[in-house]
Amino acid sequence: MADKEKRRSGVAAPEMPEGKATKSDSDREFLSQAGVGELLRGAILKMVEARSDDPIGFLADHFCHLASMSDRGAGTAGCGDGDQLSNGPLSAGAREQQHLNRALWHLRLAHHSQRSAFSNNVRVAYDLLNLTGPGKHSGETPEGQEGSCTESPTGGGGGGGGEGEGGGVRGSLYTQTLQCLCSEGGVPASTSAPLLRRLHCHDHEAVPYDVFRHGVLTCAVFSDYIRQAQRLYAEVCCPDEGPASRALCLAVLGTLKEALETSQGCDATCCVNANTKANVCLEANVKAIRYLKASAKISPHKLAAAMSGAQTRGPGGNMDAKEFENAAADLFITRVKVVS
Amino acid sequence: MNESVCMRVCVFPGDSHVLFYLSDAVTQLLEHKEEYSQFGVSRYFAEYFSSVKNSNHVLFREFNYITATPHNRSSFIRVFWRCYRQIGKSGELLSVLEFRSLLQLLCPDFPVEMVQSTGRIVLMDDAVDCLMSFSDFIYAFQLQLYYREFLDSVLTIYQDLLAGKSPNTVIVPTSTSVELLPPVATEENDKERQQHDGVEASTLAECVDALCDRFKHSHPSRSSMTEILAEKDKICFYSFLMSLSKHGGVNQDIGALPSMAELLIDPEMDQELDKLVAQIAVSPGSNSSGSAVIGLKEQQRKASPRRNIHHRRKMEVESDGSTEETDSSEN
Repeated sequence: MADKEKRRSGVAAPEMPEGKATKSDSDREFLSQAGVGELLRGAILKMVEARSDDPIGFLADHFCHLASMSDRGAGTAGCGDGDQLSNGPLSAGAREQQHLNRALWHLRLAHHSQRSAFSNNVRVAYDLLNLTGPGKHSGETPEGQEGSCTESPTGGGGGGGGEGEGGGVRGSLYTQTLQCLCSEGGVPASTSAPLLRRLHCHDHEAVPYDVFRHGVLTCAVFSDYIRQAQRLYAEVCCPDEGPASRALCLAVLGTLKEALETSQGCDATCCVNANTKANVCLEANVKAIRYLKASAKISPHKLAAAMSGAQTRGPGGNMDAKEFENAAADLFITRVKVVS
Repeated sequence: MNESVCMRVCVFPGDSHVLFYLSDAVTQLLEHKEEYSQFGVSRYFAEYFSSVKNSNHVLFREFNYITATPHNRSSFIRVFWRCYRQIGKSGELLSVLEFRSLLQLLCPDFPVEMVQSTGRIVLMDDAVDCLMSFSDFIYAFQLQLYYREFLDSVLTIYQDLLAGKSPNTVIVPTSTSVELLPPVATEENDKERQQHDGVEASTLAECVDALCDRFKHSHPSRSSMTEILAEKDKICFYSFLMSLSKHGGVNQDIGALPSMAELLIDPEMDQELDKLVAQIAVSPGSNSSGSAVIGLKEQQRKASPRRNIHHRRKMEVESDGSTEETDSSEN
């Protein structure tokens, strides 16, 4: 027992004791043969990039994803919630679904506020979906490509389109991606439908990267926005007293609208100013000031003032959560420009 | 690139102990190369981190590992609860040594001192060979394991206060100052009475508050400690710990166990248990898990010397429900 304990406590020590040169050599060899260093470096890079609140969970998902990808080669099933993969050649539909799942997985990795990580992931997702184009029967990514790579495979990242070899993601896939993003973000289909109509591309169209990125980003922001709106309603209404009063809801929505208008309203004039002076720095400053103004408009103080005003002289009746959500969604959606 | 990774990892929230788990995962992998690498190293890492996420990673690991991070500590408390909940349900009373045996089934080198300290909390320092109920034990155990370092420091402070020293000076356990002691004749009597009554609760509160300021390990929330210490004029060490262990807020902060009222109620788990018992009754020889991978691992596990751990049927049933996750952290 004592011997066993000794051995066990040895296990816990991160460093190998000295005098075990041969063992540590063979260990090193094993690690490099198995590619552990490369694997961990890739994982840590991804983890740091995503800055997830739950790094352990993130690593679990990350390795699970990698394992299910390499399992596919061996023909075994994926793990847990992973996609079940069958033996033998996959039908085109199944492969498309697989690419879609992997693209969505990449899009989930980083929150959109982590802008550079998010952009990288959008690029990787775009390239993945692009492989599923018509006439791409052997469309398989080389394994390591997206697992450990942080740079976009086709470079460019952002700039001039870059439709890649597939000529652009098919419209139907693009639409599916956006639908999945919204529903995963907890947005009911009825709420997201008007937004998706604005972002819609035809099924047969080839969607260029810029449009794809715009669509994905808009859906990600929209999901956050709707969640906030739902929380806002929960704040306004007292859970015991049924739905919130219409007057209060309208006051809140009015304040929200005003703030959104502030953030966008000056947009035109600012841009003109910035263009004539050709001063990028100034433009950034003006932008920052505009956002500050907008956030001041929805400050608790302003909101409280609006709400107390509404309580005395607003319309009667109540507003339920769905109506509030729709109204809030409408404020957002009218500000999204129509694609195509 | 390496440097930039290091720099950025430092910026990363330190309390998740990511690097500790990464290094342990590699150490485990090297210890069990053949066994763990046959399904691919990324599968191994996936299982390792899933088990850390699901709190099954501490099962059958060494004591050092169990106490290495707050997450490991709370995971172990939860595993203990899940495995032996049935004992609590049956209402059986157990002694310190019996609880120690149960703990050693989950962690072979679990030290008896830790169990004895827990016994002292439950039994208020006297009659340590008495029997204890499961629920009394587990909440005291949780406090003792999770805040071990903090409790040790508080004990030192407490003893200093009893001895009449000012504990806010540097804490060195012994060294008695002669002039503070009362005349020899009354000394014995006095000491006994003092120990019985304990110390001024307000003084202890002040000292504990000061300790929190400089303590680098985790400690129970100040508000809960202040609350307990404000209730009495005089308090002794173990009644303070007893109150802490029964404090709902402290339990919630640790987050491993349900509230006292719900400790033994878990219909979902009961159902699962009934199902598994029924399955075992129907096919005594067969394996309940269908997947080939798990089946394979099951065999490996049976061949391992730790097989005797599964001699208790209760144990086997409960832990088998989570075989998938626990395997990767086993060694």
